Amino acid sequence: MKSAFRTALILTTTLSHRSLNPNPITLLSLSTAVVSLPLNSTTTATRRTTHCNHLFASMAGGDSSPTSAAVEKQFDEFRHRLEESGSLRDRIRAVATEIESTTRIMHSSLLLIHQSRPIPEVLEKAKTQIDVLKQLFSQLGEIVRESPGQYYRYHGDWRTEAQQVVSLFGFMHWLETGDLIIHTEVEEKLGLNASEFGLDVEDYLIGICFMSNELPRYVVNQVTAGDYDCPRKVLKFLTDLHASFRLLNLRNDFLRKKFDGMKYDLRRVEEVYYDVKIRGLASNGDPKGDQTIQET
Amino acid sequence: MLQNWASVHKHLYLMAPKSHRIRQLAESTMQGTGKKPRSITTEAVTPSSSMKDSFSKYAEYLNQFNDKRERVVKASRDITINSKKVIFQVHRISKNNKDEVLEKAEKDLSTVKDQHIARLVNELQGTDFWKLRRAYSPGIQEYVEAATLCKFCTAGTLLNLDEINAMLLPLSDPSSEPLQINILDYILGLADLTGELMRLAIGRISDGELEYAEKICRFVREIYRELTLVAPKMDDSSDMKTKMDVMLQSVMKIENACFSVHVRGSEYIPLIGSDDASYTLLGVPDFE
Repeated sequence: MKSAFRTALILTTTLSHRSLNPNPITLLSLSTAVVSLPLNSTTTATRRTTHCNHLFASMAGGDSSPTSAAVEKQFDEFRHRLEESGSLRDRIRAVATEIESTTRIMHSSLLLIHQSRPIPEVLEKAKTQIDVLKQLFSQLGEIVRESPGQYYRYHGDWRTEAQQVVSLFGFMHWLETGDLIIHTEVEEKLGLNASEFGLDVEDYLIGICFMSNELPRYVVNQVTAGDYDCPRKVLKFLTDLHASFRLLNLRNDFLRKKFDGMKYDLRRVEEVYYDVKIRGLASNGDPKGDQTIQET
Repeated sequence: MLQNWASVHKHLYLMAPKSHRIRQLAESTMQGTGKKPRSITTEAVTPSSSMKDSFSKYAEYLNQFNDKRERVVKASRDITINSKKVIFQVHRISKNNKDEVLEKAEKDLSTVKDQHIARLVNELQGTDFWKLRRAYSPGIQEYVEAATLCKFCTAGTLLNLDEINAMLLPLSDPSSEPLQINILDYILGLADLTGELMRLAIGRISDGELEYAEKICRFVREIYRELTLVAPKMDDSSDMKTKMDVMLQSVMKIENACFSVHVRGSEYIPLIGSDDASYTLLGVPDFE
């Protein structure tokens, strides 16, 4: 009896191992195995079929037990709650898409900087979008606050947009002041409050890396337009920035990858600076060129 | 931005011969006037010490957070290992030693909770539940699996999320927000439970406890059916989708095992006689 069970078991487990719908050959081999077993009378056979029917009825009929009602209740609740968080996520995504298109507008107006338009004019145009972004971020904050403590559950849905915003703000701030925008300044500009709905520090840092990617192109175009002092300024800024980033102990993640890319921006700017300097263009444009650096 | 970067790169590549020369030149000048660029660097850093100040703040934040994450990962790993041990203990079940085996399993399970989950709770201290979820989720899933398995074996019912969370409540400091297992981890844990129940069912069948196997079969079917509705709504449903596939395999393995035993069992009974205890469990109407 027991050994028969085992062989049956091994047969089914090995055969049913892979296929979703047991193929007909499996069934066939099983049934021939069954037939070849000593079956002495037709009565046993009929008993077997009735018996099987009885068993299947008992196996299928267990659903009405009280436990399954409790199980069902729990899963209904799960479904309900997951649907809720799903619709919250949809709303977040909708706002994130709007943020994305706003940053695109902002970016395209900032791109005029490469066509040697005066900085104030370019900035003014780009700045018109800041209020729009501020408004969108406050909408986002309101949605996220609906489920307190779950900021990071939905974080992935807006983080790329936030990084883009940081990069644009950083670039604008640098054009205006020559300094790096700091984390709290970005939050301030967006009207964010760290205790409720803040800007993630890693997002800020990644955004800054994106900003550094813009600088080599800016330098090249500025030099072409005759601003020979620009490479020196940018080089100084980027060297500082790179040195500051090296203070961070990074994990092997996206931020690390972006930071590793920054050295290529730095090298490119160094090359432009070198090109300009070796030809004496820098000293022509600004006679005090290097002196200022050494003095300060 | 990426494109921009790529274009810079391409640009560099296109004018490779020139840039190569430039680099050589640059390197030679760097060597020649080794002190000069360095003096620029150091000089340049001093005026912008505010930048360094703010970056040392970020560095501190990142260090603390990464350390925390590492500790949480460690705690999670310990929870996993020890929950696995509980599951193995449950599989040591046989026809005659159920109470004894399950008693030990339950004891081990509460040790996992009191030692390792307590450590996790202590690390998280009511914050970053979602931010660090990836770090502790595997451990929690394994714990859910072990806890629900024990509960099924002792009571034959599904351990609810609320019940597990109620057990975890005393671990948390009343002043901070308590660690509560979220729906996602619970469901992912349940999906793994089916695999363990499949093993248990096969073991029971070969021990002749067909009734028990059928009970497992009904239970697993029920869970699978419920999860089909919930799974697509989960946050990262791709992960869950593979789990659902595996789950269906497990359910079918149990069903097929039950099936073959029924088919063959009914034929064997008249030949073997009625003194084997297991055949009465088959629900065969008495003959003779």
